[in-house]
Amino acid sequence: MINRRSIIGAGAVLASAAAWTKTMAMSLPEAAIMKSPDMQPPIFPISGPDYQPVVTLNGWTLPHRMNNGVKEFHLVAEPVNREFAPGMVAHLWGYNGQSPGPTIEAVEGDRVRIFVTNKLKEHTSVHWHGMILPSGMDGVTGLTQPGIPAGKTFVYEFDLVKSGTFMYHPHADEMTQMAMGMMGFFVIHPKDPKFMRVDRDFVFLLNAYDIDPGSYMPKIMTMVDFNIWSWNSRVFPGISHLVVGKNDKVRVRVGNLTMTNHPIHMHGYDFEVTCTDGGWVRPEARWPEVTIDIPVGGMRAYEFDAKYEGDWAIHCHKSHHTMNAMGHDIPTFIGTDKSKIAEKIQKVQEEYMPMGENGMADMAEMEMPLPDNTLPMMTGFGQFGAIEMGGMFSVVKVREGLSAGDYADPGWYKHPEGTVAYEWTGDLPEPVKSGDAKTAPPRKTVG
Amino acid sequence: MNVALNKAVFAILTSGLLAGCASNSDWKRLEDSKYGLQGASAHIVAATGKRPVWVQSQEEAQRAASQTRAILKNKTLTRDMAMRVAILNNKGLQADLAEIGISSAEMWQETMLMNPVVSIGTAEKATVRIFESAIVGNLLALITREKRVDIAEAKFREAQHQAAYSALKLAFDTQRAWIKAVAAKETVSYLLQAQTASDASSELAKELGRTGAFNKAAQAREHVVFAEISGQLSESRISEREAREALNRLMGVWGDDLNYLLSSSLPKLPARTIVKTGIETEALRTRVDLQIAKYELEAVAREHKLENATRYLTDLELVAAVELEKPKAGGPTELTKKRIELEFAIPIFDSGKARMRKAEFMYMRAANRLAEKAVNIRSEARGAYDKYKSSHEIALHYRDKIVPLRDVIKQEVLLEYNGMISSTFEMLNDTRASTNARLMSVNAKQNFWLAEVDLRSAIHGGYGGSSGGGGVSLAEGGSAGH
Repeated sequence: MINRRSIIGAGAVLASAAAWTKTMAMSLPEAAIMKSPDMQPPIFPISGPDYQPVVTLNGWTLPHRMNNGVKEFHLVAEPVNREFAPGMVAHLWGYNGQSPGPTIEAVEGDRVRIFVTNKLKEHTSVHWHGMILPSGMDGVTGLTQPGIPAGKTFVYEFDLVKSGTFMYHPHADEMTQMAMGMMGFFVIHPKDPKFMRVDRDFVFLLNAYDIDPGSYMPKIMTMVDFNIWSWNSRVFPGISHLVVGKNDKVRVRVGNLTMTNHPIHMHGYDFEVTCTDGGWVRPEARWPEVTIDIPVGGMRAYEFDAKYEGDWAIHCHKSHHTMNAMGHDIPTFIGTDKSKIAEKIQKVQEEYMPMGENGMADMAEMEMPLPDNTLPMMTGFGQFGAIEMGGMFSVVKVREGLSAGDYADPGWYKHPEGTVAYEWTGDLPEPVKSGDAKTAPPRKTVG
Repeated sequence: MNVALNKAVFAILTSGLLAGCASNSDWKRLEDSKYGLQGASAHIVAATGKRPVWVQSQEEAQRAASQTRAILKNKTLTRDMAMRVAILNNKGLQADLAEIGISSAEMWQETMLMNPVVSIGTAEKATVRIFESAIVGNLLALITREKRVDIAEAKFREAQHQAAYSALKLAFDTQRAWIKAVAAKETVSYLLQAQTASDASSELAKELGRTGAFNKAAQAREHVVFAEISGQLSESRISEREAREALNRLMGVWGDDLNYLLSSSLPKLPARTIVKTGIETEALRTRVDLQIAKYELEAVAREHKLENATRYLTDLELVAAVELEKPKAGGPTELTKKRIELEFAIPIFDSGKARMRKAEFMYMRAANRLAEKAVNIRSEARGAYDKYKSSHEIALHYRDKIVPLRDVIKQEVLLEYNGMISSTFEMLNDTRASTNARLMSVNAKQNFWLAEVDLRSAIHGGYGGSSGGGGVSLAEGGSAGH
């Protein structure tokens, strides 16, 4: 949902870029504001070279205006409330109403003029990660420019000399401002519409927060023990699905602004990295992968032909990163018999429910009351039951017969008969295990 | 409770006073060995529903015992009931009643008694006030009437007040003992809860040891908390038994009577404390021990035949007797009365005669001791009132702030446990912390109720400055990084 202000801005671009050039030459472009955390449809180019616009998971593309041949954008750095998934909102800093900020899209050879208004109480700046530009436009406070003071607007203006996949983020009080959610995507499409053309192009940033269960504000001093591992400040089951038409050529661009690496694994396909934040990868330098390690402060774009229909999981392969907030000092209760203990505990804490004797899966199904503003550690349901995930997890949905611009959720995949794993109903042999394994479930379990 | 207590004390006191107030036509009655209780029996029945027995025969002893049993049997013993049993059954009080008997016997021998006017019923309806007025009436009568009263009567009055004082002290001490016994019982119940929580932790650790999830140290950390709390529980059970024994002694019970049930918790805190203005004046007017000292002084004066007080030494300043009587717009009588009420006035005799000098010094020695006592009583009253108000605030603070905050933590950590954010051990630790807050709250509540008894005893007598228990604080939980 783009609000009225932004519609005026975007609509004007649609109406006549030339008219804007005359009347608005000396004024600030409208700053579009996004109220929704949902994925917005792509914005197709209406002038200049043609390109396939990107789709930002749970995000949007910033509208621009043309001013004497210069593409003008307006970013507003400000405090925002970001929904991570239904049931949890974080108090962050971001741009134009959301964290991360809107994706900026332009074309190789464009000259861009980006207005940055600072609505924070401390100075900020914007660094254009990976881009070739004049040193004074690099956005490092103190080094290449003074910080943008609170309440002021600065202008960045430079030529986009190469196409590729980039990011933007503050380089002023950087630790704080990035821990608070300030970052965004910057895509420069090739001048040649045919070069590296795809049918669908998804982008998302990896980010991490430490938000105590029951609280709203990230702990910005955390270095390692983050408990929210997110894509575009969003966690499963709140992350948009990647909806793809069968036989589409698909690109997924992933940037990492956390403080650790993330092996992003996609099921059902093999694929190749075709682009980093350093530029396009020559075909002879690519190799096949099913998991791509996204380095810290790095970007990887991979491509595949969507030949195989289905619901394909896509996730970080660090299994703790596909969990929502959880404790790390919980003893392993596997194999314990808590029946008598539970009776005692319930004398002093009536609502206590024993968990974990058989594993943790009961967590995903029990749906017990949690602290305020806290998502279950493992949650989400699919057509076959609890998905038992959280954090950096989503689904690539490949379907036959989707129209080109259709990104709407097609629902769960209808598996052809005989293609789903099924239960054996014949004779059951004795399970093969060591006779006295302590990890065996206790004989008498309680639920 | 307060009312019942004072009625009971009043009854005993009045019995003595009535004996003292006997007019010529009543002297025949002094032949009765139980004379002194009869006149007050109506008040006693109305106040307590029971007739305190001045035990002088086997049947009376049995009757008192059965009355005691009736109060104790199959009922939960409240503070009021405990106090009633003590008044009825305590043998020390019987000894003090015997003192009245002795002095009434002596009075019987003295046949020429002039009796002061007792203005019962002129004061407010509250029994406290009736009690006070009984004493003040006598006191004022003694101070203001310049008449010769023989030493025997002074000693008789002293015995009467000594008995009243003993009754007061017994009643207050019984209440203190009851409060401590109930608080000790409540403490045990919370320690049982804490023990249950730590028992669960310990068993869980053992279970985790069995599966191989916990090493020996991690298990021992949970076991030791359980062991420590079990030790604390045993100690608190000793304290509980000790406190109950103290109550048993004051109630004078033994044998089958020991099996009474005690309330499981202290009374609720009152929403507001009683506002006392002029607490010092009230104490000076009503403290029975001060009256006793006053009668002792009176006895010194009579022994040395000191007459015609020339001035008044107060515990605050010397006030000329002339000034006291100086007429003013409001009327001289009222002024005098007001001064005497506001300040504790001691008559001073200055004969200036050499033969009287030693007697005058002896009197002044006693007078200054009395003045010192009055100053101390003022201090005790102020201190008791301050402690009463402060301990009320502290007890409310524990009840309304600390316990609810601990409960918030206990509830939140349960939610965190539900989300596998906090471990079972953290949850049980916070459960223990919430129990600990309740233990502290019980202690604070006990301190308030003791301070409340102290306040009343600082005003009426029997002030012992009872110190509350230090309270029990639970052993710390293991929580070695679960």
